[in-house]
Amino acid sequence: MKTPLAWLNLLHEKTRLLVAIAGVAFAVLLIFMNLGFLGALSLTATQIYSQMNAEIFLRSPQTLEISTTKSFPRERLYQIAGVEGVQQTMPVYVGYQQWRNPETRFSRAMFVYGINPRDPVFTLPELQAPEAIAALQRPNTVFIDRLSRPEFGPQTTGIETESDRRRVEIGGQFTLGGGFASDGTLIVSDQNFLRLFAPRPLNRIDLGLVKLQPGADVEAVKATVRQLLPADVTVLTQEEIIGRDRDFWIGTTSTGFIFSMGVAVSFIVGTVIVYQILYTDISDHLPEYATLKAMGYRSRYLFKIVLQEAVILAVMGYVPGLILSLGLYELTTNATSGGLPMGMTVGRVVFVLLLTVSMCALSGLISVRKVVTADPAEVFS
Amino acid sequence: MMDANPTPHNNHAAANSNAGVAIAQSTPAVETHGLNYYFGQGDLRKQVLFDLNLTFPRGQIAIITGPSGSGKTTFLSLIGALRTIHDGSLKVMGRELVGMNNAQLVEVRRGIGFIFQAHNLFESLTAVQNVEMAVELLGGFGSKRAQAIAMLEQLGLGHRVTYKPNSLSGGQKQRVAIARALVNQPQLILADEPTAALDKESGRDVVTLMQTLAKEQSCTILMVTHDNRILDVADRIINLVDGRLESDTSMRDFVTAHDPKTLDPRMFML
Ligand SMILES: Nc1ncnc2c1ncn2[C@@H]1O[C@H](COP(=O)(O)OP(=O)(O)OP(=O)(O)O)[C@@H](O)[C@H]1O
Ligand SMILES: [Mg+2]
Repeated sequence: MKTPLAWLNLLHEKTRLLVAIAGVAFAVLLIFMNLGFLGALSLTATQIYSQMNAEIFLRSPQTLEISTTKSFPRERLYQIAGVEGVQQTMPVYVGYQQWRNPETRFSRAMFVYGINPRDPVFTLPELQAPEAIAALQRPNTVFIDRLSRPEFGPQTTGIETESDRRRVEIGGQFTLGGGFASDGTLIVSDQNFLRLFAPRPLNRIDLGLVKLQPGADVEAVKATVRQLLPADVTVLTQEEIIGRDRDFWIGTTSTGFIFSMGVAVSFIVGTVIVYQILYTDISDHLPEYATLKAMGYRSRYLFKIVLQEAVILAVMGYVPGLILSLGLYELTTNATSGGLPMGMTVGRVVFVLLLTVSMCALSGLISVRKVVTADPAEVFS
Repeated sequence: MMDANPTPHNNHAAANSNAGVAIAQSTPAVETHGLNYYFGQGDLRKQVLFDLNLTFPRGQIAIITGPSGSGKTTFLSLIGALRTIHDGSLKVMGRELVGMNNAQLVEVRRGIGFIFQAHNLFESLTAVQNVEMAVELLGGFGSKRAQAIAMLEQLGLGHRVTYKPNSLSGGQKQRVAIARALVNQPQLILADEPTAALDKESGRDVVTLMQTLAKEQSCTILMVTHDNRILDVADRIINLVDGRLESDTSMRDFVTAHDPKTLDPRMFML
């Protein structure tokens, strides 16, 4: 076995090694947190669709995401109701209302979904019970999202307040989360939606849900639907509509940019720290490295030693960085009571490991020049 | 402690054949013809070695002396294939170094043992690991520990093999460096003031060890030194002044190295 020079060199300077590991771990932690926030935000931005009971979605081509919709004729749903494989089509209406906090009497913009209470639009269990359906059908009754911000006030059933100057009563609760689009969410029946948003007609809808029969081929049905309908609707699978909304929030807003910058800055910080450590290490050992060259070691060998040191630092810093991040993910998720669901994915674990290794390798490549140019003749003087 | 151990010698022989340095007994270890060397480029170009014509036969111990700045270290670094040379001729073990590229020079270096004024041991490696770094160059991974320990034992460091350099004395560190230079049984050893950092006692010991081992392994030693006390190990003394050969005195003319009379010419020379 070859003498593990890289390893022994690193181990020899215990304090320096600890500083290096802490530096790499810090950079890894920063990268994980930035990616975690980004992931959590794109998840909350789109989790609404995973709670909807449909495989295919219809919306206007001008719609950017769930809260900035353009309406299209309800007629389109009737046109495809008979398509082979389609079990049910369901209209969804959306809009904003000024919700008055019943305690402070301050108003705030609340996001409202209008649905037919008998349609299984949402998979939310709170909306399936017959009592809940009956409650939704009562005039001027709303269901409120438990994840609405506390500024909207108490959510107890029976509380009365005003929504856009109209008296409404809280008839129940559900757990959904508003993501980027809203701080608070209501679900109401289509009849109540009509009352709240008058004079909006019910024959123009914001989102069309198409539930398929079990075992139906999504792509085939989607193709048929696409063929049947004119160009005033876009036909999307669940995966596609989630992708579009996510791209909007991450790409079109500066969210994606901010957190990508965060990752880039962490990467640079890590690179500088590791470079600093490797450079000092090389400078300290320059006469020894020059001696190795004089003995007949090639530059390639020294190159390998420095890169090995870099990779060792990467791995030794990555592991504590990962463990700390897992802890902070959980802490964040709990602190926001699920509002920012920070979850670790295998893809991210691998991605950050690769990022860390390339971070350290980059530092290694920058600092290695010094050792490669070390003049073996200098050891004599 | 200086008795040769036959087992490691077999290993050494194997290592040597790996190095591919098999030359006829008659080929000189080092041979120079019209060797010039310059530092710098253009206007700053400065010649430090002038027309050196020297031949060192195999097995010879030569000491190079001369005032500071006379080019001794430079001469040694040329022979050690540590610099590219353009002018004249320099043959080491029969191989012409002038015109060699870097990869070929590295190959030549592997057949040479270097001993420097500074020991340049890795602080992170134990004595035996430092020596093993040399063995690994020629690929003796299986036997490297045995070879390194045998070498250290010959230098009287058998009880210090697992010590790191910072727990060794100056003389002990220098002996580890010598073990590293000798472990592959090189046919040429280049030493630049190996005793400068040592006190009188250990300086003397180190040189005697080098001499004994060199005779056993019949290798050539070129040593730069200012140390008058160790001149008696030399077969030949070369004096460089301002990059030119000032004198070249062979000690073979004298009856025996231990004859008190032999001290006279040396005293005279200094
Ligand atoms: N890397 C270099 N670049 C330019 N000039 C150099 C370099 N190394 C040495 N010299 C010059 O070459 C000349 C010979 O230097 P060298 O080191 O060979 O002398 P030396 O005989 O070993 O001296 P000392 O006894 O002090 O070690 C000196 O004038 C020195 O200034
Ligand atoms: Mg010198």
